[in-house]
Formats: sequence, structure tokens, C-alpha cells
Amino acid sequence: MKLAVLPEPLAGIPWRVILPLVILVCFGATVLHSAAGGSFHPFATSHLVRFGVFLTMALIIRLMPRELVVMAAYPAYVGVLLLLILVELLGAIGGGSQRWLDLGFIVLQPSEFMKPVIVLTLATFYGALPPGMTGSWRALLPAGVLVGLPMGLVLLQPDLGTALAIGFGAGVLLFLAGLPWKWFAGAGAAALVIAPIAYFFALHDYQRARVTTFLDPESDPLGTGYHITQSKIAIGSGGITGKGFGEGSQSHLNYLPEPHTDFVFATMAEEWGLVGGLLVLLIFGVILRWGLTVARNAPDRFSQLLAGGMTATIFFYVAINLLMVMGLAPVVGIPLPFMSHGGSSMLTNMICIGTLMMIDRWSQRSRSTSFN
Amino acid sequence: MNAYAISAPQAPGRVHLVDIRRKALLLAQLRVLLIGAVFLALAAAALLRIAYLGVVQPAPSQRSMADALLPPRGEITDRNGVPLARAFPAYALWFNPTAMDDGGPPLVQSAKTVAHRLREIFPDLDEAEIARKLASGKSGYLRRRILPEDANKVMALGELALELPRETDRHYPQGSMAAHVLGYVDEDGKGHVGMESALNDQLLDPARRGTPVALSIDARVQGALEDELRRGMLSVNAVGAAGIVLDVDTGEVLALASLPEFDPNKVDKDSQKYIFNKVTNQVYELGSTFKPLAVAAAIDAGTVTDLSRRYSAAPIHIGGFTIKDSHPLGATLNVPETLIHSSNIVTAHIVDDLGAARLKQVMADLGFNERPYIELPARGFPIWASGEWPRLRAMTVGYGHGIAVTPLHLATAYAAMVNGGIWRPATLHKIEPGQANRGRRVFKASTSARMNQLLRMIALYGTGRKADAPGFRVGGKTGSAEKPGAGGYNRTSLVSTFAAAFPMDKPRYVVISMMDEPKGTVASSFQRTAAYTAAPVIARLVPRIGPILGVMPDDSRDIDLTDLKPLIGSEE
Repeated sequence: MKLAVLPEPLAGIPWRVILPLVILVCFGATVLHSAAGGSFHPFATSHLVRFGVFLTMALIIRLMPRELVVMAAYPAYVGVLLLLILVELLGAIGGGSQRWLDLGFIVLQPSEFMKPVIVLTLATFYGALPPGMTGSWRALLPAGVLVGLPMGLVLLQPDLGTALAIGFGAGVLLFLAGLPWKWFAGAGAAALVIAPIAYFFALHDYQRARVTTFLDPESDPLGTGYHITQSKIAIGSGGITGKGFGEGSQSHLNYLPEPHTDFVFATMAEEWGLVGGLLVLLIFGVILRWGLTVARNAPDRFSQLLAGGMTATIFFYVAINLLMVMGLAPVVGIPLPFMSHGGSSMLTNMICIGTLMMIDRWSQRSRSTSFN
Repeated sequence: MNAYAISAPQAPGRVHLVDIRRKALLLAQLRVLLIGAVFLALAAAALLRIAYLGVVQPAPSQRSMADALLPPRGEITDRNGVPLARAFPAYALWFNPTAMDDGGPPLVQSAKTVAHRLREIFPDLDEAEIARKLASGKSGYLRRRILPEDANKVMALGELALELPRETDRHYPQGSMAAHVLGYVDEDGKGHVGMESALNDQLLDPARRGTPVALSIDARVQGALEDELRRGMLSVNAVGAAGIVLDVDTGEVLALASLPEFDPNKVDKDSQKYIFNKVTNQVYELGSTFKPLAVAAAIDAGTVTDLSRRYSAAPIHIGGFTIKDSHPLGATLNVPETLIHSSNIVTAHIVDDLGAARLKQVMADLGFNERPYIELPARGFPIWASGEWPRLRAMTVGYGHGIAVTPLHLATAYAAMVNGGIWRPATLHKIEPGQANRGRRVFKASTSARMNQLLRMIALYGTGRKADAPGFRVGGKTGSAEKPGAGGYNRTSLVSTFAAAFPMDKPRYVVISMMDEPKGTVASSFQRTAAYTAAPVIARLVPRIGPILGVMPDDSRDIDLTDLKPLIGSEE
């Protein structure tokens, strides 16, 4: 991906992902501008500023050497795990659950960090594992512990959505690592057995209500089904071309819950219609396809797994959020990457993008060295 | 490249290693593709879902502000804004056992206590039944309609399960008044019979239902008409009565009544048989009331120029049929005497001179060959002989037989005859000044002026004397026709009509009163004819409605009859 017109340092930057990202974030800012009642304050400006900051961060991540990343993987994992335990302890002392860690100058949500970090850790683990051993129990057990610990801690918070996101990223990584099919089939069967049990014994009342509501939102349209009913009305009333910028009544009249975060897609679809929805899906398609291409072209097993896992993490956000606002999945508090207003998700996703750019750089370097 | 793989213990040799590496690479690429396929499938699902939500899923029903704030059905008022039909917000008493929503019993107190206290509010309540309903735990109406003050008392009981939903009723504050004009609304909110049916779309349209619809009806005139018709009907034991008050210059119907009536507030099986509108839907042979129309046609055509010309009053034998009068009126009669005494024979002579074709043309111009013009859905089709009329047909039509029209037809025809000769369709819509239908000319203004004199003379000196009201200068004509029954005319059942206009010096209103099958009673001197049954209704009605309509009684005014008075001699 080299453009002749650009000077050497700029030409190496993967414009073909940054450009769609910028378009998506700007479109997101437009929607947030409307959601704030036609004002850049309080959503749109901070959205754009954050993107600028995190993009710089991603470009810095891009420059990291492979050795450093491999070396830092396990310490980073341990560090985030400790933070998770610290959050849990603070919550126990302060009384009541807690997800946030207030360090005075910044509010941290360690479970967010765990999403890319678990992918990095597992990629390091499988990268170091001899390919011949992928079929043995020694390939699964340590990985299981590595995933189980943070998932358990996050579930204790309790934050089902993030725990599932961690599990999903790890699961895709295990799959890409080439673990035997039968293990996945076994896990699937186990999930089928456990799901009903978990539903009745492990889930909180409000989580159970979300599942039943998802299965039949009309059963309680003014109560637990309210979010999803309003969201579907918003998307549906947009029609093909939408009501027009700033004309969305569902978001402006506060029918739509969280019009600037979790339900930003519904806000967008009401004003821009099917056309806007297509644009957003198209850009996400471009970004995710780029991520998978990076994974396929990765120079080695570690980077391949890392790229695949990062792409899967972004994908998980997008898929769950879209399915939720369209009424195809239960309501879980997962924002839409690059469009929803919110620092943590933007940070996680930009870390994923930065990592992918980094791997892209590695593969370019290795290719150029091998050809030279 | 894969340093770990090379340094793995028990490496089985280089060839094997390459094999494993290639296999692993293949596997990894395959799985990336698989993941990509899953992504794609989910994207496709999302896309289909958006398309479904945006295109297929029915849009949420649009409720405009007007829809939410306006009554569900527009009001109907009379020409002065008096409400005739309105949306009436009412309370119902509804039992909702889940209102408490706390898993406990639906009521705070026991069902018996609540039933007892409800009975203190509604003394006619069946306490045992209400207690049973409350104890059953099933939701349902306890009472369909309750008054606001009673609703407050129920609220004060403090039982959440007793809910007071607001429901909107169609209410006719004037009761059964103008029932046939208004019609009624069924449970599904659809209008029937009267203007409720004719205006159904307008009354439901959110854009228009905010403004009440003003009818041409004047509630005071309507009330007086119904009152007098009912009195007349009861005093002569008639099976029914019908009446109409029509503005001759605009065609506006100020009152329209068909008795017996129904109560639009409470339409049940019994009222169904009274829903038939005698004024617009029933056709009658209206008899002698047609004679002035035939004479007007003859004057207009110039076949009667000299009102003093005397015609033979001997019975006419034509085609095996004899035209005769109810009693001998003398050897000869001139035109004013013909109308004053209501002679069938002389009217037949006048029509014969006019010719069947010309009479038919005038009758058609008066709208007797089609359904009456009015907004109501129920309009009767006249019995109208098509083709060329033979002599006998024309002669009988001249005195109102062999043709059957609705009383509304007659009213519009009289209006054309007295207003200067312009026929206009009748309407139930209030017409703003200057907006009246241009109409069509049927008679010359001179003919109309002459007819006004003749009609006034009938009421002063002839069969219409009982219709005259002092000072109101009433003019008009009686008509008593036998009802057609099985095998010819029924001698015992009459339809007695009086078609009147007032004041005759400047006619403003036509009034029709009609009695269906009046009996001879003390009140009518044991007579059944119009002069004794229908005419007195006019005499009592006109003084009641005249001042309301701006016609004051005045003995110093009247139409000038000096040129015709000498023609009628001094008898009677």
C-alpha cells in the first residue's frame, strides 16, 4: 500500500483503513450532533477530539517492534488481572459492585483493557506452542486458565456483556489457533446444556428479563421491552432515505433510550434511513475485511493469531450492538465502535486498530526484507 | 521463521516438519476464511433486518396532535350553533384486579364492603352481583356510564382496582329532536340514517372535525314543528305525520320531521321501524295540493289568460273513467273558484287546454321525475309515468293522482311557485348569504305573483281557511288523497296534506304538514280531510315560528287581492 505522491514515512501508513475510519467517525459525530439537539456540545466535539488522541496512540502502537510486544504480553496480562482484582476488592470494601477505577486523573475500566490483552496473551501462548501440540490437552488447559480468570472476575462485577466479549475474542483465537473441531463441538454441546441452567440459576433478574423480552418484546412494550420497541420504531420510521438530518423525532423527543451511546445506530437509521445503515455496514465491512487480510498476510503464527483476535473483538462489538438495536439479540450494554459516544470503547477499538496496523507493518517489513 | 517449532523436542525430521507447517498454515487460512464467512453471514442478516424494519414492517401509526386533542367525532350544530350532536366525555366504572400489582388481593377492603359502599353511591346497584364480580378477580365493567360527581365519590373509596376510564359517547342533547335529520352512530363509530351518515367522512376527518358542522336546521323551528305535528297527529289518531319548513329563496331546510320518531341516543330494535323518513323517502299521491301547480303551468304557458273565464263543472267521462268532484260545486267555475273549492273537474279542463306534454315538462322541471335533492341518504324515487302522457293521465296528474312524490318534492315545487319562479334543490347545509344555489327558472315572475294571490285566496275564502293565522298572511292548498292499496284506492285511509307559504305578500317560507291515515275525531269534527287535520297544524305552527324567522304578525299588510276578489262572488 504505497502511494507515490506521499513522502516515505506517510506512505507506509495504512490509509485504506484510516480513511474509512475517519469517514465513519465523522458520520458518527454528525449523528451525535443531531442527538444533542443540533449542537456540537456535549457529544460531537469530545467524540472527534478522542478520536484524534486515540488515532495518534494507534499510530504509536503501530511502530512497536514485535519482540517488545511478545515480551510485554504476559506482564500486561498480569497487570490487568491485578487491576481487575483491585476493582473487585475496592468494590467489596466500598460496598456494592464496581467496574471503574478512579486514579484521580483518569477513570479506568480494566475489563475493557482485558479484551485486547487476552487476545495478545493467547496469541503469544499459541505462537510459542509447537504446532504439533495443538491437538493435545496441553494446548487447552493453560489457555482455559488464562481466559477463565478474567472472565470470572468480570462476571463477578457483574458485567455479562464484557465477559462475553472476552470469551468471544478468546474463542475465535482458539479456533484460529487450529484447535480440533471436536473440542468446539463439545463446547457447543456443553453450552446448550449449561445455557438453560445458567438462565435459571446464574442470571440476575434484570438479565433474565432482557432475554425473555428479546424473545418477545411485545410482551411488555412499556416496561422491559421499551428499549427494543422504540429502537425498532426508530429504525423502521427511517424508511429508505430517512427523515433527514436533525429530524429524528424518536431521539429528540427522548423516546429512544441512550440515543448517543448504545442506540446510536437507531438514531442514525431514523434520520438517514436504509441508505445510512448501508453506509455504516459498508465501512465496517471494509475495516473488518482489512483486519482479516492483515491476519491472512501476517508473517508468523503469533501475528496471525493476534490480528485475527483483534478483528474478532471489533467484530463482536459491531455485531452484538447492531443485532441488539435491531431486536435480534438481547439488550446488552455494548456500544457501536467509532460511532457511539464513549471513551472506553473507543480506546479498546483503537488499540485493536493500532495492533492491526502494527502487524501490517511487520508483514510489509518481512516481505520487503525477503524480496530484497 | 517459526523458531519454536524448529526447537521443539523430538523433531521427527525436516520433511515431516515442513509437512506440519504447511498443514498448519492451510488450516489457519481455512479458519480465517470460515470466520470471514461468519462475519459476512451476520452482515447479511443485519442488512436484511434493516431492510425489513425500514421497508416491510408497518410504520407506527401516525397520531397527529389534532388526532389526540380533538373529539373523536365532530359536532353537529343547528344554524345558530345550538349543539345537535356532540362528543360527550363520559366515565365508566371498570374493575381492574391487577391494578395493585403487589401480588396481594386486588381490593383493600373485602369485596362485600366495596360492593356495599358502591351501592351507597349508586342506589340502583345490584349489591350481590357486584360483590360476586369483585370477588371473581376478573376484570370487567361494573357500570358503563357514571356521572363525574359519582366518579369522584368512587375515587374517594381509595380502591386502586376501581378504575374510571374516560370514554367518549355520541350524545344528542336535544333527545329525539331532529332524529331523522341527524341519524345515529353505532358502536363501531359509523354514522347511520341522517347527516351522521351523509357527513361521516367529514366528521371523522382530523383536519375538519375540529369545526362543528352547522346544519340549515333551526332547533327552535324544528322543536315547534315536531310539537305541532305531534299534537295534530294525536288529536286525529293518525298513524304518522310529516312536516317540513323550507326557505323559499335558498332551499335551506329549517325543520324536517317524520313522526313517530326515534331517540338517536338509544337506538334499539323498537326504534328501527321508526327510522324510515316519511319526508324524503316515502312517496305519496298528494292530491289537490297539485292543483295550484297545474294552474300555474297553464298561466305560465298562456292557456289561461282570463281568470274570470268560466269552465263547466259537469263530471267528465273519459276512457271509461269519470272525473268528478267530492260534492257538486255548481254549473260553472272560474279559476279562483276552482282553487278555492278544489274542483277536480275544472282543473282537468284547464290541464286539457294546456296539453299533456307541457304539463309533463313543468312537472319534470319541478324535479318530480327524480329523487329529491337533499343530503340525506334515504330519498324515495317518485312514481312517474314515463313516455308520452295520454289525456287522462295529464288530467289526473293535474289534481295529484297518478303521480306520487315525497313531501320534500312538494315543498321545493311550492317554493319555486311562490319565490318568483326559481326552483332550487333543498339542502340541510347552512348557506351563507349570497351563496344560495342559482337554481333554474320554472315559472315567470308574473305567474308566481298571480299564484301568490290565488294561494292567499284559498286560505282566506276556501278550503284552506283553517290554516290561516291572523296577521301572518298564510296561503296554501289542501290535499286529501286516498292511499293506494290492494286493488285500487282505499276509501278509508287518507293522506291529508296542507302545503302552505307565508307571508304571501313576500313569501319567505314554505311549510308542509301531512297526516298519514287521520281518523275522524272530535278534534277534527269527525272529518278526515286536510282542511280539518293538516290545516290546523299550519295555523298553530306559523304564529310560533314566524317571529323566530323574522316574520312579524301585521294586520296592516297583505297581498293585494283587489283585482281577483270580485271574481269569487260573495258566497261562503
